[in-house]
Amino acid sequence: MSDLRELYQEVILDHNKRPRNFRVLNPASHEAKGHNPLCGDRITVYLTVVDDIIQDIAFQGQGCAISTASASLMTEALKGKTIAEAERLFEHFHEMVTTDQEPPSGMGKLAVLQGVRDYPSRVKCATLSWHAVQAALNRQTDPVITE
Amino acid sequence: MIAFGAALNWVREIGYDFIGQHEQDLLEYATAQFRQIPGLHIIRSAAAKASVLSFTLDGIHPHDVGTIMDMEGVAVRTGHHCAQPVMDRYGIPATTRASFGVYNTRADVDVLVAAIYKVKEMFGS
Repeated sequence: MSDLRELYQEVILDHNKRPRNFRVLNPASHEAKGHNPLCGDRITVYLTVVDDIIQDIAFQGQGCAISTASASLMTEALKGKTIAEAERLFEHFHEMVTTDQEPPSGMGKLAVLQGVRDYPSRVKCATLSWHAVQAALNRQTDPVITE
Repeated sequence: MIAFGAALNWVREIGYDFIGQHEQDLLEYATAQFRQIPGLHIIRSAAAKASVLSFTLDGIHPHDVGTIMDMEGVAVRTGHHCAQPVMDRYGIPATTRASFGVYNTRADVDVLVAAIYKVKEMFGS
């Protein structure tokens, strides 16, 4: 049970129940879809980028608690960041959920998702929204598919 | 191949009638218990069906259900089960599915039901 609480922390349950920035941005300067065919998770991310800074970011979609909470926490973390900072944060986030290393500093609330590393099948849930943001910033038109 | 032969002999010794009866008994026992669980919906309720129970829990995604039940020692399959058109028909993304075999007991069903309550407790529902 203690292990599970590490995965399903209060912050995660809260962001799952009341996802932040859960809306459509219209117009958005960047947008992309993410799809996890094995899970059925689907997400669309929207960004408004001005002068390389993410002025606003939002998402829509449906998925498990891990993917919804991760997307919600991501939108909070990325708002106001430059594109370079966002890319670096994704690298750090990916490292945090896929390796046993101490998480890099500056992860803020994203650190609650560290428990995902113990559940390899759930890593793709936590990273789906990040992959979608990367695709949006790269102007990728096909949906990102993670398996 | 040798193991497969032994498995077939085992099945023949027990007999298909007994296996069928046992599975139906577990299915009926589990179905009755599931009906008592608030927020649980059994997907499909045909009169004659295999001893498989597919279900959803209000507000909790099957993949979260599966991970928590796994930690409780209960193995279930979760997802769309490669049957996306059926999922669309019911307007759901996925289900959790428990299946019962001749090697399962009513006590296993009790553990399954307890694990579902654990999931609900964890999600505060």
